[in-house]
Amino acid sequence: MAHELEVFWFSEQPYGHVTESDLEPYESGRMHFPNTHFDPEKAHVLYGNYHDQYQLADEVGFDGIMSNEHHSSYWCMKPSVNVDAAVITQRTKKAKIAMLGNVIAVNDPVKMAEEIAMLDCISGGRIISGFVRGTAVETLHAGYPPTENRPRFEEAHDLIVKCWTQPGPFRWEGEYWPHRMVNPWVVPIQKPHPPVWFPGTGSPESVIWAARHRYPYMNLGSLLDLTKQLKGIYHETAAEEGYEAGPEHFGYLIRCLVADTDEKAQEIGRTFLWTENHRNRGPMEFNDPPGYQSREALRIKMSRPLIGTGTMGRRMSYEDLQDAYNIIVGSPETVTEKLRHIRKDLEPGYILIYGNEGHMPHEDVMRSVELLGTKVIPALKEG
Amino acid sequence: MTTVQSGSRTTVNVNGTTVEMYSGGSGPPLVFFHGAGGSNGWLPWHEDLAEEYTVFVPSQPGFNGTEAPAWVKTIGDVAHFNHMFIDALGLQDIVLVGSSMGGWVSAEMAAMDDHNIDALILVDAAGIKPRESDIAEIFMVSGETRLKQRFYDPGQVENYERYTRELSPEEQLVVHSNAIMASQLCWKPYLHNPSLPYTLSRVETPTLIVWGNQDAIIPVECGHLFQQAIQGSQLRIIDNCGHSPAVEKRGEFVAAVTGFLNSL
Repeated sequence: MAHELEVFWFSEQPYGHVTESDLEPYESGRMHFPNTHFDPEKAHVLYGNYHDQYQLADEVGFDGIMSNEHHSSYWCMKPSVNVDAAVITQRTKKAKIAMLGNVIAVNDPVKMAEEIAMLDCISGGRIISGFVRGTAVETLHAGYPPTENRPRFEEAHDLIVKCWTQPGPFRWEGEYWPHRMVNPWVVPIQKPHPPVWFPGTGSPESVIWAARHRYPYMNLGSLLDLTKQLKGIYHETAAEEGYEAGPEHFGYLIRCLVADTDEKAQEIGRTFLWTENHRNRGPMEFNDPPGYQSREALRIKMSRPLIGTGTMGRRMSYEDLQDAYNIIVGSPETVTEKLRHIRKDLEPGYILIYGNEGHMPHEDVMRSVELLGTKVIPALKEG
Repeated sequence: MTTVQSGSRTTVNVNGTTVEMYSGGSGPPLVFFHGAGGSNGWLPWHEDLAEEYTVFVPSQPGFNGTEAPAWVKTIGDVAHFNHMFIDALGLQDIVLVGSSMGGWVSAEMAAMDDHNIDALILVDAAGIKPRESDIAEIFMVSGETRLKQRFYDPGQVENYERYTRELSPEEQLVVHSNAIMASQLCWKPYLHNPSLPYTLSRVETPTLIVWGNQDAIIPVECGHLFQQAIQGSQLRIIDNCGHSPAVEKRGEFVAAVTGFLNSL
C-alpha cells in the first residue's frame, strides 16, 4: 500500500529579540554570544506563543508536530526536546510528536529510554523518537570530547532500544555506560518501540547509518540536488541490506510561510533570513572540531563526491533561496504549487514545515498555520 | 653501535602495528617523540644531533604513516605503546626526547619505567596543568591562529614557508587525521594528567627541561612545575622563543641538549 504523505509543523522556537548588531561583536554566534542577551520574561511570552501555534497546528489538520533541541543557541530556546514534547502531549490531541531529536550521545541513555517511554504512554503512542548526534556545539556544550560523539551515539542507541525491547533486569557492559543492572519500569506503549527517525544535512555517513537500521531519514533542508543524491545513497544502502526503500523512509524539512496574498507572504518570509550569517558563525574548527567526524566519515566523503552543497557556507539571497525551493512563501495557491514540485522531485513520505523564524509576528504565524492546515495540506494530499 | 644513512624512512613492526620512522646518524640511541600536530619527519636539528647519536624519529600511533591500534585511546596507552616500540627496536639505555604532547608521553614513559632511559629531555611539554594561567586552546581555533600561537617570531624560523604553503589533498588528509588522534588523546582532561606531578616523583633518570620563554601554548610556568616534579632535574629557559625551541632557536636548543648530555 502506498505511503500517505504526512505533513508536520516545526518551530525552532527562536529568541527573536536578538538583532544583527547584538551578534556582530562576538567571535561566534553560539558559545561566545553571552546569555546576558536572554530575558526570561520575554521568553515566557514567546514560549506561550509557540505552544499556541502547536495547538492550532493540531486543530487545523497537521499530521504531526516536530520538535528538536539545541544548546547555547539564541535561535532555538529548547535545551530539552523531551520537555517540549511533554508540552505538546498536553496541548494537542491527535498529532504525532516527532522528536528530532534527543542528543543521546551526551545524555544518560537509560534515562532517555525512560523519558521517551513516559512520553509515549502519556501521549497514547504518538511519539516518534528521533536520535541525533547534534551539531558539534551540543557535544562541546556538554563537555565531551568530539571523538566520542559517534561511539557514544552508537552505544546509547543500542542501549535505549534494548531498554524498550528486552525485559529487565539485564546487564550492560558498555564502554561508556556500564551497568550491572538495567530495569526501567516505564516502557513504551508502541510495540516493539516508537518509530525512530534520523536526520541529516549533508553527511553520507548519516544516510548510510539510517538506511542500515531501516530508519526514516529526514533531510534538514539541503538543496534539492544534494538531497536527491543523499536519497540515492539511502536507496543503494537499502538494496545492499535487502529491502526496497520507499517514501516512508524519507522526509524533507522546508522553510515555508503562507499568507493571504503573495505580497504579504513575501514580506513576512524575509525574516527566514534573520541573523542567517551568525547562526553557526565561528572558525570552521569550532563547528567541526577534530574528531567530530570520524576517519570513516572522511573516507566515505572522499569516496562519494557529492555535487552541489547545503546552504551553509554559500551566501544565497532570499530570491535565490526561493528559486532553489529552499524557502517557500506565498498565498495558499502559490505554496501548494511549489510544495507539489518538491513532492514530485523528492517523493518524500514526510514534509516537515519549518514554519516560523526570528521575530515573525505571532498573529502572522498563526494565520500561516491556519492556511496551511485548511488549504495547502488538503490540496497537497489530493495530488 | 649502529650506523644509518641520515634521515631515511623505514617501518618497524611493533606487535603487529606498522610504525613509520625516520632515522639517521651514529652513536648511542636517541629517540624523539613529536607533538600533537604529528611528525614533521627528519628535521635539521635531528641532523645536528645525528653527529653524535643514532636518532630515531617515529610517528606515534595514529599519526602520519603509523596505524592506530584500536586499544590506544589515551596518552597512557601511547606511552605503553612507545615502550613496546623501543623494545621492538631492541634499544638499550636511550636518550628520550619529547616535545609538547610528545613530552607528555615521554614523561609518562619515564614515570612508568625509566630503567632503560639514560637521559630524559622534555621540551615545552604538555602533561601538567598550570596554576597561574591556562594551556591555550589548540583545537577550536583556526590553523592560522594555531600557527601564530606556536612561534614567537616567524622571522627566526627556517623555511617558514613550509608552515604556510598550500597543502595537497593527501597532505590535508594527514593533517586532519593527526588532529583526530590528538583530539582523542588530549581533549579531556585537556592536555594534562592530574596524576603526573605525583607519578613523576619515581623518576631517577637525569632530566633536562627546555622551554621557550614566550611559549603561548603551554606557559613557561609548566616548565617550573616539571622541574619541581622530577628530582634533580634542570630547567633551561630559552628567551625570545615560542613553543618550538628546536625549530625557532635551533642553535641554542642543540647546544643545551648536547651540553646536558655531555655533562652526564
